[in-house]
Order: sequence, then C-alpha cells, then structure tokens
Amino acid sequence: MESLGQVVNFLKLVLFYAVPFILAGQGTMLAGRTGVFNVAQEGIMLFGSAVGFLITYYTGSPLVGVLAALLSGAMFGLALSYFTTTLKMDQFVIGLALFFVGFGLHTLIPKLALGIVPSLPRIPTLSEVPIPLLSQIPILGEIFFKQNLFVYFAVLLSIFLWFFMYRTKAGLEMRSVGENPLAADSLGINVAVWRYSMTILGGALIGMAGAYLPMEFAGTFTPNIVAGRGWIAIALTFFGGFAPHTILFGSLFFAGIDGLASRVQVGGFGIPYQFLLMLPYLATILVMVFSFKRARVPAFLGQNYDRETRSMT
Amino acid sequence: MSVQTEQVSLKRSPVRAILGQFIPYLVAVLVAFVAVGVFIALMGFDVFKAYQTILFTSFRTQNGIIQTLLKFIPLMLQALAFTIPLATGKFNIGGEGQMIVGGIGATAVGILFSNLPGYILLPMVIAAGIIAGGLWGLIPAWLLYKFNINEILSTVLLNFVSFQMIDFVASEVWKDPVAGHPTTIPIGEGGWLPLLWDTPPLHAGLILAILVAIGVYIYTNRTTGGYELIATGANPRASKVFGIDVQKMFLLSLILAGGIAGLSGAIEVSGYQHRLIKDFQSNFLVLGLIIGLIAKGNNLAVPFVAFFIAVLEVGASAMQRTMAIPVEMVYIVEALVLLFVLLSDVVRRRR
Repeated sequence: MESLGQVVNFLKLVLFYAVPFILAGQGTMLAGRTGVFNVAQEGIMLFGSAVGFLITYYTGSPLVGVLAALLSGAMFGLALSYFTTTLKMDQFVIGLALFFVGFGLHTLIPKLALGIVPSLPRIPTLSEVPIPLLSQIPILGEIFFKQNLFVYFAVLLSIFLWFFMYRTKAGLEMRSVGENPLAADSLGINVAVWRYSMTILGGALIGMAGAYLPMEFAGTFTPNIVAGRGWIAIALTFFGGFAPHTILFGSLFFAGIDGLASRVQVGGFGIPYQFLLMLPYLATILVMVFSFKRARVPAFLGQNYDRETRSMT
Repeated sequence: MSVQTEQVSLKRSPVRAILGQFIPYLVAVLVAFVAVGVFIALMGFDVFKAYQTILFTSFRTQNGIIQTLLKFIPLMLQALAFTIPLATGKFNIGGEGQMIVGGIGATAVGILFSNLPGYILLPMVIAAGIIAGGLWGLIPAWLLYKFNINEILSTVLLNFVSFQMIDFVASEVWKDPVAGHPTTIPIGEGGWLPLLWDTPPLHAGLILAILVAIGVYIYTNRTTGGYELIATGANPRASKVFGIDVQKMFLLSLILAGGIAGLSGAIEVSGYQHRLIKDFQSNFLVLGLIIGLIAKGNNLAVPFVAFFIAVLEVGASAMQRTMAIPVEMVYIVEALVLLFVLLSDVVRRRR
C-alpha cells in the first residue's frame, strides 16, 4: 500500500506543479487565437511574482496579492496590444522589449519596497482547501479535491475556455480573428477589440501564474524564480495547437517531468542532479520535434492587421 | 522586418541620414533620463549626484574606463549574436547558453592541455570557445531547418540546459575544492589572453571583439553573402524566388551567432577569469537583446550602443554602492530609451 500512497502523492504534486503552466499557457493561447503572439511571458511572470509577493507581504492576504499580479499582467497585455494592434509595431520586438521590462522590474521593485537587504521576508504558502464530500472519495478525492484554490481555478478555467471557444458564437468570432482577420472584419467582427481584450486577459492570467510561484512552496521571492516556465508555456501552447484542453494536458505532462526531476533528485539513483534538472527543457524541445508538424497554429499568428489598407503588417 | 529598413536609407545621403538617425536617439536618451530622474527625485534621492555617478564613473578614473571596456566586450558580442540572425528575421535568444557552452569548451581545452605553450594553447582555447558556441547554435538552427521549430523557443530553452551543464562542469568535473561558489580549477597559463594594460588589467579580448565587430559589419553590409542574409530578412519569399536558399541563410546566421557568443565566453575565461565560474554570463543576454533592439539591428550602431550601455551599467553599480539606489533603475532608463527609439519609427512612418 505504501507505493500506492506514493503514486497518489505524486499525482497530487503534478496538479500542484501544473498551475503556472496552465495559466500561462491559456494566457498565451487567448492572445494567440486572435493573432497576437505574446513572447513576454517570462517577463510578465517575473513581474507578477514580485508584485504578488510584495502585495501579499504588505496586506497579509494572498488573494489581494494575486489580484495585484493579475492587474500588473493585464497592464503588460495592454501595452503589448497598444504597440502592436494600434501602432502596428513588430510583435516579437515589442514582446522582447516587454520581457526586458519585466525582467528589470522584478528585482527592482522588491529593492525599492524593502530596501537592499540580504534576505527577503516570508509570506504564507497556499493552504489546501478540501472540497466537502468530493474529497472523501478514496484516491481520486485525495488527488483532485484536496488542493489549493489555484488548482481548482486553473482546471475550471480550462474547461470554461474550451466551452467558450468551441460551443459559443463569441468563441467562434474570437477564433476567426486569428484565422483570417480580413474575413472576420468584413463580417463585422471587431478585430481590434478582440485582440485587445484577449491579449489583456491573457496577460492577466500570465501575471497570475507568476504570483503563484512564491506562494507555491518557497514562501519567499528569489530573483529568476520563474526559471524558464514562461518560455515553456509558449512551447506547450504551440504543440497544444492553441486549444485549451490540450494545453491542460500538456501542462500536466510538464508538471510531471518537473515533479519527476525533483523526486529522483531526492531519491539519488546516481545520476548527477544537473542532468535531471535539464529534463524539463530537453523534454520541451523533444516534444516540439515530435509535434510541430501536426500542431495547428492560428493562420495569422504574429501578424498585425491594418484596417485602413486591409492588409497584414 | 521593419528593424532593417535603416540600413537602406543610410546609403542614400550619408550625412543627413546619420543625423536623421542620431537625433531620435538623442531625444530618446534625454526623455528617458528625465523620466527616470523625476522618479528618483520622488524617492528622495539626489538626482544630479545619481546621474553624475551613472554617466561619469566610467570616465573619471583609469579603473572606471577599464571596467567599462571589460563590460563592453561581452555586451557587444552578445548583441551581435542577436543582430546577425535578426537580419534574416530570426530571433536568437540563446546567446547566454552559447556563451556558457563556449566558456565550457574553452575551459576544457585550457585545462586538458594546460602544459602547452601559449602560441599553441591560446588559439586552441579561443577556437574551442567559438566551435563549442557554434555547435550550441547549430542545435536550434538544425531544429529550425529540419523540423521548422520556432527558434525563439529552442534557443531560450537551451540556455536553461546550459545552466546545468556549467554547474556540472564547475562542481563535479573540474571542481576547484577551495572555492565556495561552483568554480573550476584554472586553465593553463598558456591559454591566457595577453594584457594590453597591467593595472588594472585589460586583456587583448578587446581587440578580438572589435575585429569581430568590424568583420560582421563588412560581411553584412559589404559582401554578397551578407546581402543575401539581409535580403532573406527583408522578404523571404522574394529572396527564394531569386535563388537564395532562405533555409540555409537561417541556418548560417544562427551558427555564426553561436560562434560569436561562444567567443565571448572564451574571452571571459581566457582573458578575465582564467577559470570557469558559474553565473559568469551575468545579465549579458538581456542587455545584448536591448542593445540589438536599440540599434535596430544595425551592425554599425551596435558597438556604440553597447559602449553606452556598458557606461550605464558600470555607473549604475557605482550608484548602488555609494548612494543605495538600486542598480536595476538603469534597466528602466534602457527600456525607455528603447521605447522611444521604436516610437520614433512609428512617428516617421506616419508622416
């Protein structure tokens, strides 16, 4: 029975680890579906982690911290929208510039708020919120229904997004904006409004993904806390074909590798730990190799639409 | 790629074009400094003293000048590793990993053949860095060529792989037992770059870096091969029609970038540290990106922008030491400069 307990614990951990991937992946997907290729994830998450940490520290409430990170992520989304959708600037150039801004600010604002100190204060980590009745189910209850609120939110969000995109008229409109903005525009769909709203919403989710990290285990903030998860989120959105359900499963896969790497590291096995820590990144590349040909990408991803000339830039 | 349009206008009427390019930069820098200045003042610091420190630390003392040049070398090389693929429309975010792997290659050769005399070992160390970095750049290039895998993702993911490689090399393979931080044993003295200046030491990597910058400029702006590179970025479809192997251009530019980033790693090892230290790559990658973007991909502008950023970085760390203003404040200046430089393009396009 001991090994069963280990498996249950591991699966529980996988869901727990998957949250930032799910949130950032869905955020990338939302903007991407309307044709905006956001590449600032890593920067937005770094900034979100710093904001989430600081606000939680000052207010004592993780909820307020997360809301602040959400807002700050939305600001990044707004900036990305303005420069690309309105000013028609290159999406990658602006994305990289915003990555730089987030990267710079994420170590600046803790210093401004707390001074240049050797070690930062601690905040409470997220606690489990068991769901009544459901958490009583053997095994499944332990894995799925004894998690923190973020886990529930991330999974429900994914389900909701799937329903919205594939079962509602608005979702169809939204998808058409990324597939063919010209056609969408001629049907009276407001391309710019869809691009703005989805990029801002996506940015908010990515900011939230960042805020999760200091509250996950560490209970404090460290520079570069995101450690490439933002970039991995882009990759998994790609081979998830910009679909909410595949992004959810892709996130679980990555979280599984993350969990495995940390488990095996503790367990020894004689492999130098450095090679285990490479696994998530190598796995990402490997999965891209196997899925890139089949992955469905919005046809006009990364291109700005100019309404006046009815052309792409 | 809108980033490349500048080089065309430069050829038309040199003086006016250069002026026309320089003025937006000047305005961008001024506005950025004023904006951040207001912010610093609101925080209750002495703005003028802060800016004096930022701008003049590099020029006041011999030490300041040399510190700035030592920063300038890797920054410029990192920026070139970004701008060369940018010319073809590809984004290399892997300069960091390529630098690390270049550093590992240089260190490996420098330790394994530590007894060889300088005239053999030094070229070997430098070449090992270039080759190792180039190979690390070959991986994303090949993935792009063979599987059409987005280079932004593959290059950046390989950075994270390289972080573990350097940790492995510096804390397992050639671990220096006395060092607290993961560090390798020193490379053979034959592998050290000669010094241009003794105290404080300035190594000959500066000359190598400048030669590379000149070489890159000549290649991209004055040769047929370089023209094909830029044509690929300007209009891949037209280039294909006119017989340029676009895929090969992507491949070539990413490998070249890897080699240059690898060289920057080898120079750090051979010229400065004489050993491999974990995290030696500092924040050169993101600064290289911002330099390349501020220069709008123009390889002639890269060295000048890199020098400017090196001055800011050296000044900012002095500012944190003496005035307790966070060094990251300078990131805001840099980001704003970039923003205004990019916006000046939009303004010009609208007119």
